[in-house]
Amino acid sequence: MATGVLPVEIAVLAVPAVTLLLGVLIGYLAQRSGFCSIGGFRDYFLFRHTRILSGYLALIVFSFLGYLLFWTLTPAAMEHFFWALTSGPFTPVPGAPAGLGPAASILLAVIPGFLVGFICVLLGGCPIRQAVMTSEGNIRAAFFLLGMGVASPVFAAFVSGWIVFLAKSLGLGA
Amino acid sequence: MVPCSIHDTVRRHAFLLVRHPAFLGAVIGILAALSQSLLISAGGPEAYGFCVACHTRDLVNGVTNILAGSSLALAPISKNAVLPVMSVVGVLIGAYVSARVNREHAVKKGSFRDYLLYFLGGFLVLILAMVFGGCPYRAALRTGYGDFIALLFIVAMALGVVAGTVFMLKRAEREDA
Repeated sequence: MATGVLPVEIAVLAVPAVTLLLGVLIGYLAQRSGFCSIGGFRDYFLFRHTRILSGYLALIVFSFLGYLLFWTLTPAAMEHFFWALTSGPFTPVPGAPAGLGPAASILLAVIPGFLVGFICVLLGGCPIRQAVMTSEGNIRAAFFLLGMGVASPVFAAFVSGWIVFLAKSLGLGA
Repeated sequence: MVPCSIHDTVRRHAFLLVRHPAFLGAVIGILAALSQSLLISAGGPEAYGFCVACHTRDLVNGVTNILAGSSLALAPISKNAVLPVMSVVGVLIGAYVSARVNREHAVKKGSFRDYLLYFLGGFLVLILAMVFGGCPYRAALRTGYGDFIALLFIVAMALGVVAGTVFMLKRAEREDA
């Protein structure tokens, strides 16, 4: 169990407040800059424009630098940094459906990745762009968020179990 | 107007910086790490500082659990905390304030068919993102954290974007002909 700077009793109170503040800052800057992961790849492919893509690439680079920085400052909070060295490069991460082997994790990353890219580019933006467009008054994007909200309990109650069952029947269990 | 003092120059550069996507990328990257360093005692997973899909799931399922007494699955950090993660609410507020302040707020309606398509799109994207364990943003954070599976997700996503763009171009050509 990883230990952060704040003790457990304070951390459980701080979670909503800290994440809310973080979200407000990100939302403000995202509206100003038009930040979008999907739009970055699209604009690069269509016009060789790199402005939006630079945002997503900066996110990857700076998340590495940020984790590296805070790993040196508070190693106890970054238990499995650098994942490939501490846990093996293709071990399933917490958060994805549990009880599956590496082959399943790779399949369950590549197939959804492709489909998320395909769907989002047709709808004109990745999830954060849809949230920003909702705040700008776009009703269609609001329906995208509504769809995400409705899918949340559906995934937890049904789909998660189906995926694990399907992968295990294909012999991809842990 | 030509900037004539250091103060003006600083202000002009700050303005350009705030409007550049790469600045936001850097901000999310650093703050996600800071947030993990502060909050991880409340619960995992790691590399979870910012994610639109996972945090939506946590918010909806967490609030449903509190109100209806159900036990829908959500990340430990949201389960243990007094309230689930609020990043998505924050993004909506931040973007709304920005759109209002900069006079870019305008209601745009669509057809019933649009609403249905966007609803289905959002539904599918959340399910797909959860199958992988993160939206494009958490995929980037996980890549930065050293998880190569997330890098595969990003590569596949880029290919999906190319396929979707080609599909749209082909459809537009057909409609022109």
